[in-house]
Amino acid sequence: MTEYVSPFDERVRPAQPLAQRPGQISGLRITLLDISKNRGAEFLDRIETLLQAAGAITARETKEIFSKPAALDLIDHITKVSDAVVEALAD
Amino acid sequence: MVAEQHIRSGLGGLAPELSVSGLTAQPETIRSLAAGGCALLLFVNEECPTSALAMRRLGPLCQGWESAGLSCTAVFEDPLEVAIRVARRNGWTGRVVSQPPPYQTSRAYGLISVPAAFLIDRAGQITGSVTGWDQPAIAQLIQRAAAITGTTLASPEPAEPLRKPGCSSKSALDPDIAAAMNASTNSDEIEEMFERGWTDGLPVVPPTADRVERMLGSYPGATSLGAVPPAMGEATMERLAACAVLAGCRPEYFPVVVAAAKAALDSRFNLHGQAVTTQPAGQLIVVNGPVRHELAMNSGMGALGPGNRANLTIGRALRLMVELTGGGMPGTLDRSTLGHMGKIGFCIAENEEISPWEPLHVERGFAPEQSAVTLIGSDAPLSISDHRSRTPEDLAYILAWAAASSWSTNWWPLAEPSVFIICPEHAEMFRAHGWTKRRLREFMFDAVHKPARDLRRGETTPFVHRSDGGAEVRKWASPEAIILLVAGGEAGRYSAVLGPCTGMGFEIVSAEVEPR
Repeated sequence: MTEYVSPFDERVRPAQPLAQRPGQISGLRITLLDISKNRGAEFLDRIETLLQAAGAITARETKEIFSKPAALDLIDHITKVSDAVVEALAD
Repeated sequence: MVAEQHIRSGLGGLAPELSVSGLTAQPETIRSLAAGGCALLLFVNEECPTSALAMRRLGPLCQGWESAGLSCTAVFEDPLEVAIRVARRNGWTGRVVSQPPPYQTSRAYGLISVPAAFLIDRAGQITGSVTGWDQPAIAQLIQRAAAITGTTLASPEPAEPLRKPGCSSKSALDPDIAAAMNASTNSDEIEEMFERGWTDGLPVVPPTADRVERMLGSYPGATSLGAVPPAMGEATMERLAACAVLAGCRPEYFPVVVAAAKAALDSRFNLHGQAVTTQPAGQLIVVNGPVRHELAMNSGMGALGPGNRANLTIGRALRLMVELTGGGMPGTLDRSTLGHMGKIGFCIAENEEISPWEPLHVERGFAPEQSAVTLIGSDAPLSISDHRSRTPEDLAYILAWAAASSWSTNWWPLAEPSVFIICPEHAEMFRAHGWTKRRLREFMFDAVHKPARDLRRGETTPFVHRSDGGAEVRKWASPEAIILLVAGGEAGRYSAVLGPCTGMGFEIVSAEVEPR
């Protein structure tokens, strides 16, 4: 049988488990992360209104650029001050 | 219960140890597999459709089972590389191990046919088994596992067919017949590459171990150049060499491929963004220095077209690394709306000998006698015909305004690089009049501007919206956004502009081509 070298990285990596979902919104500190995509802020405005109406305490943060991961400092900050985060992805 | 009749319960024996190879450095043992509570072994082989059915039905559940304490392992009666491919094709998300002929592990478990599932508890006892595909029996086996682990475990859906007979285990065959079955039955290697998914859609050169070894030469195969986005597969030199073989490279091209991969994986290049964007962006490789001649690259007639093996295959090797090792295949993680032909391969050698200017790599800090590649995220070429300009000013004006609609008609200014490939006859016009690269770049930058009010139709930039209506807005944010190269045949007045890849925040990255 011919032996080939695969171009794929064949390692089977376990899926990352999803973070636990909060049971309720009221009283939660929720950060809304704008990734700097066109009109993402408008979408977040609407989500923020709905979250506040449901009793959440909201904060807004913005990624420097949509095409790169958020800075580690920003991720650290969000995890320290938030119970949950909403990220607006598309334009 | 009918299902109960199909479960062989309480076999009353310790599970035999595995004599297998896998992807982990440490060999899998029954104790380690059952450490979380219990272990499920699913014996399968490539030729068996019922094995495929079992993997398709159980594979998606494995991750959930693993986190609840039931490990999940497919034990193949096939070589490991075949096992990995078949497991991936069938959506198996658990472990994959392989046993060679004469299939001692299958024999130790007394297999007659596959698929065969065995449930083993923490003490190493076989607590149940199911042969063939039998959904009710498998569901009962899983619930037995749930009772052992004290957790809730999802069972496979009761979809048709509920039951399907298995196929003969290779361990139960006459050794000669088993050996014959294990031999390659695929007489067409090229078609096999398509079947494996090791292609960009065009035929490839099969990356046999011998070819990859020749491609690698003295490079250490295990050395990694880093993770290739978007799926972050590890770019070991061996995998990169496999991509170079698949692309059709000769071994002497490999140092250029390595340099291109290093530059592409530099975080400043933001390959991740470029690989997944809906934009058409390809990764242009510009080759400079003596290596162009050493590899007989084409910087002359048809420099961006067909005909030269080095130009075409070096660019293709880099793209195969992104598509295969990095998982950036169109329709999966590559979300490009249209793409462009440069995403198959996009490599050009600069015609330094005919250029009136310093070559690109010298502009970027290399010595002329060094060889280097420069990576630029880039749109497809737009040809610019000019046969009648008689002054460098007129020609520069025509070249610059041809790019006025690149990226989008009213999207001004562009901060990202637009690459102009100046053909030799056009370059000669600038040489004859003593124009430096800098002068041409600044002239083009100054030439293309419009009042903001004329750009306020359809999509435009926030900058245009913020500007006064009468304010002049330039096409480019700075002269440095205009990259100038010289290439092409000596006859014909056709230059080209390659529009930018925008919004990626990427930098142009160069890397030296280091000799082996």
